[in-house]
Amino acid sequence: MSVTHESLPITETIQPTSLEEVMETLQTASRVGEAIYPVGGGTSLDYGCPAKQPGKALQLTDLSKVIEYPAEDMTITVQAGMTMQQLDTILAERGQQLPLDAPQADTTTIGGVLATNTSGPRRLGFGTARDYLIGVQAVDGLGRIFSGGGRVVKNVAGYDFCKMLIGSLGTLGVITQVTFKLKPRSTRRTIVACHIDDLEQLESVLASMIHSQTYPAALEFVAGPKWSDFTDDTNKLYAIFEGPNTDLEWMSDQVAQEWRQQGVNNITTLEDPEAQNLFSRLTEFPANENTALTLKANVVPSGITSMIQAARELDPNCSIQAHAGSGIANLIFDEFPTEGLSRSLTGFLRPAAANHHGNVTVLRNPSGQEMTRQSVWGGLDHPFWMMDRIKQQFDPQNILNPERFVYS
Amino acid sequence: MTVTALNRLADELRNLLGSDRVLTGDSDLLVYECDGFVIEKNSPDIAVFPTSTREVSEVVKLCDASDVPFLPRGAGTSLAGGCLPVGGGVMIVLTRMNAILDINLRDGYAIVQPGVVNVRLTEALKGSGYHYAPDPSSQGACTIGGNVATNSGGPHTLKYGVTVNHVLGVEVVMADGRIAYFGGRSQDGPGLDLAGTVVGSEGTLVIVTEVCVRITKDPQGCRTMLAVFDSVEDATNAISGFVAEGIIPAAMEMMDQGIIVALEQAFAFGFPLDADAVLLIEVDGLEASLDEQRDEVTRLCKMHNAREVRLAKDEAERQKLWKCRKQAFGAIGRLSPSYCTQDGVVPRTKLPHILSRIREIGEQYDIQVVNVFHAGDGNLHPILLFDERNEAEVERVLKASGEILDECLACGGSVTGEHGIGVEKISFMNKMFQPCDLAAMERLRIAFNPTNRLSPDKLLPTAGACGIEQNHPGRRAAL
Repeated sequence: MSVTHESLPITETIQPTSLEEVMETLQTASRVGEAIYPVGGGTSLDYGCPAKQPGKALQLTDLSKVIEYPAEDMTITVQAGMTMQQLDTILAERGQQLPLDAPQADTTTIGGVLATNTSGPRRLGFGTARDYLIGVQAVDGLGRIFSGGGRVVKNVAGYDFCKMLIGSLGTLGVITQVTFKLKPRSTRRTIVACHIDDLEQLESVLASMIHSQTYPAALEFVAGPKWSDFTDDTNKLYAIFEGPNTDLEWMSDQVAQEWRQQGVNNITTLEDPEAQNLFSRLTEFPANENTALTLKANVVPSGITSMIQAARELDPNCSIQAHAGSGIANLIFDEFPTEGLSRSLTGFLRPAAANHHGNVTVLRNPSGQEMTRQSVWGGLDHPFWMMDRIKQQFDPQNILNPERFVYS
Repeated sequence: MTVTALNRLADELRNLLGSDRVLTGDSDLLVYECDGFVIEKNSPDIAVFPTSTREVSEVVKLCDASDVPFLPRGAGTSLAGGCLPVGGGVMIVLTRMNAILDINLRDGYAIVQPGVVNVRLTEALKGSGYHYAPDPSSQGACTIGGNVATNSGGPHTLKYGVTVNHVLGVEVVMADGRIAYFGGRSQDGPGLDLAGTVVGSEGTLVIVTEVCVRITKDPQGCRTMLAVFDSVEDATNAISGFVAEGIIPAAMEMMDQGIIVALEQAFAFGFPLDADAVLLIEVDGLEASLDEQRDEVTRLCKMHNAREVRLAKDEAERQKLWKCRKQAFGAIGRLSPSYCTQDGVVPRTKLPHILSRIREIGEQYDIQVVNVFHAGDGNLHPILLFDERNEAEVERVLKASGEILDECLACGGSVTGEHGIGVEKISFMNKMFQPCDLAAMERLRIAFNPTNRLSPDKLLPTAGACGIEQNHPGRRAAL
């Protein structure tokens, strides 16, 4: 299947069936200086800056085998082209999970999730890719294979290429094989929901959660029209609990009691299938294709309400999902801001984020307007110069996803 | 590195820091000749004690300009020679940078200087409902900067993760003296995860001068149990049984008979001296289900022939149990004049196999081996007992250690779970990684530390690491 996307000038799609083929493709491309766009399920091709340099798509979906699954050790080694759903099906059979909550799991691949550092609601309780990837194999921009980590859950031998490659958007190497540590599968999920009157109340409830007796796996605030088909009350806070039945019952009662003390009303408890349905909605939200602009804010958790306020000042109708316990907010705008992307960011959102030690990046911008490195990635105060130095070592010809990432 | 150049550098450092914070005398430097890995020793030429990031940066710039190697040091508790000044140079001792700069409960972080002793942060958090989760056994002495350098673990990392899982950001001084901040208080900053990349790099990429760590909500309660087994095999099978059933306790430590005897002599806890092995198991979480979890643990242990499962009756008894575990290394002095600890890791299902192999290897080389380790994540700490005055025994200890680590690799494991490569295990890097992997690591090192003046001859077997043994014939004699 050939890959096409308006933001990437792809001339041809190569679908390797072996590691050697990946290496050869990259070796050849580096010799002739041809761009290579690594592709997994193709769900994030519009992430990052648009590329101008024509090149080949290197689609990894045929490299999707299980290499080793010693379930009793709670680790799995697989090729990176496997979809997240395939992986989940395999793990489910042994009562295990990789709790990363990636959207579009039926198409998105493991390699893609790692390259984009995708996470979801349960990052609060379960962490992100960096907490699960314990071994990695990749092929760099000169076609050289390299590995780091291993297949055991605790290991500090050598430099940690797992951390280096997570979120590198395929710019340092094409991830070909990975080892994850796993968690026991959550058997039951309960979601406690409440209505939030205003941002002041939201912050007071969120702040009170710091001393909550409960341990939510996720703490999600949602608002805006994108949620209106799901619930007519679109200023909602959800605490998601997972664990043994006795814990779930205790925690849902407890959190309801704590919230009532904060003056919150309309507290309801959702069990499956409603809980599952809502959880899917929360997982899929950032991938919503019906968008004019999707942004991601990352701030300290106490800055979440300021970010929501700044987003609403820009567009009162924006749709919001905040992973409120982690300080992450996904913002979807149904209309492209009239002041333009760059001015919206520098005028409204990034100053608010900077006040709370954070930043705003662009997840999706179908218009393709103003997609410069600065507007997409922001973070002027981040040490991009050091990232340039790593890039120079692993992809000296700059053939891997040129122009799309943070490098100068 | 000529004597004149070193003298000139010492003068410049004195100008910068004052003479009371620059040591150059042989007897003053003796304490810095090694860390917890005592097999190789070499004093630095100069030791300095900066008290600020700016001072660290200035020291590094002076070393860089003088072409003198330099390396950071925390409390010197490394068991792998992580702060051994191979080839001399300037040792940058960070223990005076020991302030807790900020604790922010609302946003779940604390900011500390690198010289803060691990347990001080948890002490500072006492009463807040939060703690700092990584708890290496040396936590009463080791520094958080050192924990970051080695990506330290500890008993409770089984449930809570190792140091890197708790580091949000680091302020660093680069090898050329430039100051930078990687990561930050918020998560998911743009670009590469530089903070994650430098954690565990053993001081070879940057010098960490400030750390932003995540703090963790205290569990509501816990149950601590001691399961007594008549055979090591039953105990290790029980561990595999736990993992297979998807039960991950907060901590699961194993101690065999050899160490139990020493601990009993040292602490008089009331350990059963005739037991072949005990498991120290802690579950934590909500009171609502803790007794259920306790019963499940007991059931599983009994299923694997545990003779007895004792519950710590109160917090005092629990603390005493943990004190025994964490100070186990101190008790070993009762068993032999010298010991050598290994840090291998195997997949958890291979624990029965590796422990029986360790016993065989010990018998083969006529070396007594005792075990106290993080059983839940397969992280072994076989302790080989010997007398350093007996050269033939020293020889056998080295061979037995090597064979144990080879066996860990053969099981698909690692030669270090938490102590680091340092200089001790540098010769194993070639066995664990392919040349192409090591070449990639070398490239990463070059990206951060192109001159290799920062912590040379550590971690990577390149740049003549095999030469270390040749350059230091004292390695074995000193053991």
